[in-house]
Amino acid sequence: MRLLVVEDNAVLSELLAKGLHTAGYETDLLATAAEARAALMTTSYAAVILDLGLPDGDGLSILRELRHHKDPTPVLVLTARGGLQDRVSGLRSGADDYLVKPFALEELVARLEAQLRRPGQLLGSSLHIANLEFDLRNRQASIDDQPQVLSSRETAVLELLMRSKGRVVSKKQVEDHIFGLSGEVASNAVEVYVHRLRKQLSDKGAKVQIHTIRGVGYLIAEEKRDPV
Amino acid sequence: MIRFKSIISRIVILHVIAVAITSILMSLALSWLLNMATNNIHSNAMEEQALTLAQHLVPQADGSLSLELPPDLQGLYSQPYGRYAYAVVDDQGKTLFSSLKDQTPVFPADPRAATVQFLETRKDGAAINGASIRQTVGGKTVWVQAAEDLANRDVLIDDIVEDFFKHVGWITLPILLVLLVTDIAIFRRALLPLRQASEIAQQIGPARTDIRLPLDEIPNEVRPLVSAINQALDRLDQGFRVQREFTADAAHELRTPLSILRTRVETLDDPRVAKALHLDIEAMSRVVGQLLDIAELEAFTIDPSEVADLQEACAEVAEFIAPLALEQGREIALLGATAPVWVKGNAEMMKRAIRNLAENAIRHAPKDTVVEFVVEENGTVTVQDRGPGVSHEERELIFRRFWRRDRNQQGSTGLGLSIVQRIAELHGAAIDVQNRVLGGAQFSLRFVTAGKTS
Repeated sequence: MRLLVVEDNAVLSELLAKGLHTAGYETDLLATAAEARAALMTTSYAAVILDLGLPDGDGLSILRELRHHKDPTPVLVLTARGGLQDRVSGLRSGADDYLVKPFALEELVARLEAQLRRPGQLLGSSLHIANLEFDLRNRQASIDDQPQVLSSRETAVLELLMRSKGRVVSKKQVEDHIFGLSGEVASNAVEVYVHRLRKQLSDKGAKVQIHTIRGVGYLIAEEKRDPV
Repeated sequence: MIRFKSIISRIVILHVIAVAITSILMSLALSWLLNMATNNIHSNAMEEQALTLAQHLVPQADGSLSLELPPDLQGLYSQPYGRYAYAVVDDQGKTLFSSLKDQTPVFPADPRAATVQFLETRKDGAAINGASIRQTVGGKTVWVQAAEDLANRDVLIDDIVEDFFKHVGWITLPILLVLLVTDIAIFRRALLPLRQASEIAQQIGPARTDIRLPLDEIPNEVRPLVSAINQALDRLDQGFRVQREFTADAAHELRTPLSILRTRVETLDDPRVAKALHLDIEAMSRVVGQLLDIAELEAFTIDPSEVADLQEACAEVAEFIAPLALEQGREIALLGATAPVWVKGNAEMMKRAIRNLAENAIRHAPKDTVVEFVVEENGTVTVQDRGPGVSHEERELIFRRFWRRDRNQQGSTGLGLSIVQRIAELHGAAIDVQNRVLGGAQFSLRFVTAGKTS
């Protein structure tokens, strides 16, 4: 899978390439907006990692052009400017995600995978948390390689939570995901499914925990073992 | 010296004073002119009379003169009438003829006098006013005097003078008052662009440095002031811009090397060294990030028309911070309003403030406790923890930059709360710090609600 990295700092660029290579990605490294434009015209990339501060122009203009041509390539913006306006304008210009420097390489890879895993983007056949695995192709959850039987709605909830590993999924997102836009949703329906799923997972020995963030949503994470 | 609040009141007061002085001076001047005119008429009449008298001087064969007055003139100068008097004096100062009983001249004879002379004298307590002319009749030089007793002056002339003060004199006052009102109207009109400019100027503040006062309608006299204000605003704006650019450059120059450092450390072989270095880089990154936040906030401006959903801002912060809190063994809960709470301000900045409050709370909360966010419909967001609380003495200190209760505490930069305070300032929001009844600190930010329902 080929990625385009547009970053003017050569050292950082090399380090990113090295890190991404370890994570299984091939990269093209470009340092200017002009080169990036030319490359995007001719080559199709799985995703673009775009630094906003380029010597010959603002990275955002590349992004705007890309979106103007209805190019759906996921773009992950890197910015040194954590500035309020920068972030807002970055996302408005069509960035799929952004990371403020200094970022963890791990975080970059995670965000990248989240983008590549979006519907319409193909990557990774399965998601893992501790001993829990979720196969995205046949929507099958397994614990310690043992396939589990879950109801379709429990499966939907689990899939959503696992796709957003390490991030909070709002209650609203869960509702939309399992019930779609149709029909009335009982106010505690999501809680019920999450509760059942939680019980199922713990009964089957999954070393994961579904946290409820009151008033916000849910988050799945590796079970924390407090040192005794 | 009286200080006037407004130009109009200054004009009105000064104008009233000017009107009063002018009307007095004008009346005086007019009455003086009128007196001059009546005196002139009188003097001319007296000269006429003297000339008429002179025509009736007839030289005799013996070289002497005789005065042959027709009956009407005799009546005019008769003693019973008493109003007019005449005398003819020769160059020796001898009275030749006189209408007066004692045959004295009306005015003392003066050979050096000019051809025509207007004189005044007092006789028997009465003011006598008249003319004396030099005439040569039959080779003899004589002075013919005609005079009038002013006590008996023509009644008509007196009436005119009196009438003038009664009616004509007063007309100056209303005329001047009309002028005053007209002037006020003119000035108000002339100052209208200034008033409009002031209204525009009222919108200028740290949030709006892009506004300039319009110069087109401004009168030339005030234009230098207005353009000076505009230039000052330009400099202010420039200052803000320089600060923003500096912040952006500094961010790039600081964060890119940190990224490189971090990535290098992440690819180190020794995981223990990597972890230690990683924590150092994290701490360094936090300080850099917060310093840049502060620098950015110094030059940040809020559009006064901007509104944000406080509930959503809180929810986003809670979503963002929950994984970090869980990692550290603290829980997050979002309570209170579930519907949008619209407040005035910038959503991103509100999130920053709430996030800093939350990070602060998480740091001070004991393990396995809940850090709660409470959003209220009145635009208040409260972040509360079960930590040690904030003592009264510390309530001011905690908002100071780099202040820390424990300088060795990990993860604290001492900048978070100063960022919160700065954001609150920019939003005109009130910060409240309380200790909870059952222990713990409670930080509230009350934003200005924006009555928006959509």
